[in-house]
Amino acid sequence: MIVNILIGFGIAVLGFVLQTSVAGVNRKIIGRLQKRYGPKWYQEFLDIFKLLSKRSISHGWIFDFGVIMALGGIIATAMFMPITNTFVAFAGYDNFFIFVYLLAVGMLGMAMSASGSGNPLASIGVMRALTTMLAYEVPFMIVILTVIKLSNTSSMVGIGEFQRALGNNWFLIALPLGGIVAVISLMGMLGKKPFETYIAPAEIASGPMVEYGGKQLGMLFIMHEITVFIEVSLFVHIFLGGASNIFIFLIKYFVVYTVVNLISNVNGRFKIDQVVKFYYKWPLIMAVTQAIIAIYFGWVI
Amino acid sequence: MMNSMSNIEYVKGLIDQSFKVLETDVIDQYQVSFVFKQADVLQVLVTLKNAGWKQMSYLSAIDWPDEAKFEMVYILMNWERAIHVQIRTKIDRNDPVMPSIITVYPGAKYYERECHEFFGVKFPGNPDYEKQLILEMWDDIPPLRKDFDPQAYSDRKFTKREYNQDYKILSEDNKLKEKREARKQRAQSLKGGQKA
Amino acid sequence: MKSTKFTPARKLTKEEIDRKWWEIGDFFRRNSLWMLMYCTGCCAIELPPAMTSAYDMERLGMGPMATPRQADILLISGYLSVKSLRRVIYTYEQMSEPKYVVGLGSCPINGGIYHDSHAVINQLDQYIPVDTYVSGCMPNTESVMNGFVDLMEQIKNKTANGWVKYKENNEWYKSNQKAALGEVIIHDEFHE
Repeated sequence: MIVNILIGFGIAVLGFVLQTSVAGVNRKIIGRLQKRYGPKWYQEFLDIFKLLSKRSISHGWIFDFGVIMALGGIIATAMFMPITNTFVAFAGYDNFFIFVYLLAVGMLGMAMSASGSGNPLASIGVMRALTTMLAYEVPFMIVILTVIKLSNTSSMVGIGEFQRALGNNWFLIALPLGGIVAVISLMGMLGKKPFETYIAPAEIASGPMVEYGGKQLGMLFIMHEITVFIEVSLFVHIFLGGASNIFIFLIKYFVVYTVVNLISNVNGRFKIDQVVKFYYKWPLIMAVTQAIIAIYFGWVI
Repeated sequence: MMNSMSNIEYVKGLIDQSFKVLETDVIDQYQVSFVFKQADVLQVLVTLKNAGWKQMSYLSAIDWPDEAKFEMVYILMNWERAIHVQIRTKIDRNDPVMPSIITVYPGAKYYERECHEFFGVKFPGNPDYEKQLILEMWDDIPPLRKDFDPQAYSDRKFTKREYNQDYKILSEDNKLKEKREARKQRAQSLKGGQKA
Repeated sequence: MKSTKFTPARKLTKEEIDRKWWEIGDFFRRNSLWMLMYCTGCCAIELPPAMTSAYDMERLGMGPMATPRQADILLISGYLSVKSLRRVIYTYEQMSEPKYVVGLGSCPINGGIYHDSHAVINQLDQYIPVDTYVSGCMPNTESVMNGFVDLMEQIKNKTANGWVKYKENNEWYKSNQKAALGEVIIHDEFHE
């Protein structure tokens, strides 16, 4: 039992290190795309440690407690994530619905502490974040339920093995419409442009993070990195076939994050009502069509 | 688009038929200025507003300290006949009082506050012309008057940086010295709005 | 060489341990500076070429941030009128420590071309502590980048102590602010 907890903690730390490095390399890629040298590849580490070394100002105990709850919740979620089908901390507990429920703890912690700071811009940012969550969850859930029905299991490792079985393709190819909807929902989950409404640096002075400085901001950044790790790993396991050894996992992770980052860098930013209207129009239609095609007609590539 | 010469004739005709104009000046093809007595100004503005000059572009004052008068300037703009009309009038400088025009143009409320703050003109009829708009905690005479010395105020209130003299003048015969002195004299004489 | 087998290793005193932690912190702080762009005056137009692809600022680790609580550097670009100075003082006191101030242009140094105006302060040093000045009217973008690199060198040599000086000489700064401004926090119809 203790060994499992330690392995889980190791997975969380590995996820943090992996995502921070990948984010730094992506900043360099975007810099080269814009004809300039980007920052160093370990720049995100320097940002987080600089933030942890500043003296910070507190606004009361709800403010501090919310950040700790968010960070603790997200580390607890990351402990369940499988990396390959053998490198998993709690075997049998890597159900998809556990992740969906536990991701809400992180979001709620941030919402609680942002509204405890008393700044009205933080409340606007939290309202926008929760509205965006309402928008992208519906098409995403329809596609995931299709995948679970087709593979007869809802465990990450099980879905990964189903895709690697003989005669089956990755679900990105087998359900093409569903794959497109999943990529668009992933961009909403990560908070990348054009769905970056909840941070919005120039409009509402970075939304929920407006009153943070120093150590609390550092902890929030760590929480954000681990959240991104969990969401991209979910995508890799469900749609790209999981991994049988760790190098393939790293390659797939890097490719997914880089493609999403490149798409998001050429877009502007939506308003919040445009986000909701967008998600409830074409992605929802495509998801429902994909569900009807795959389950009732059985046309899977 | 109407011809601007005919527009200027239209304005001149409109003003001449009911008011006594002290001076008319056609500045260019889109601007014309009239000088009135102080008592006529409100009626002129009402007439012009009913004739189409609906936008008030500017309201300010010019300081003539030698004649001891302020010259109030109102600039109006018409969107159909493209003419800027300037209405000018001279009021007394030692006790400047000008009736407010917010009954005609409600947007002049803030212009009158600014004019009071920078020149000291009073506008009875405007309920809050004494509230501060731009300058915070001002403690001297209104700053755009010609007898306000900004350099003296700045020397009095803000500390300046002191520099050591760590250079040495090598030789005194400087051919450009007379030119430099003449230029400095010219700059000094242009202060206060006098022509060179 | 003297063997250390029979002499016990020297225990580090508390100040030396603090200093070692502070040095590690200085390494992180000087390689990832975040600036709050307080674009008060004309010199702010030198910032877009410094931030984007012409003279890339991101390779030094610097980036723009939206609020004073998250930023390290307060960048005063250009002249400061009396009204702006009150708001700059509020902003400076909201930032989390350690914090640095950079003055761009000649106007924070000695007033620049606005030295004889009734509303522009002449020497920024008297009101908030400044670490680096970049002179010029306005400075070339390479000078601005040199100014940032100079600030990073100062952090390395531990001479960028403006925030410590502000805390220690607080009465001197406050009396200067009162003499020039009258009152720092005011209430009017727009700020209740």
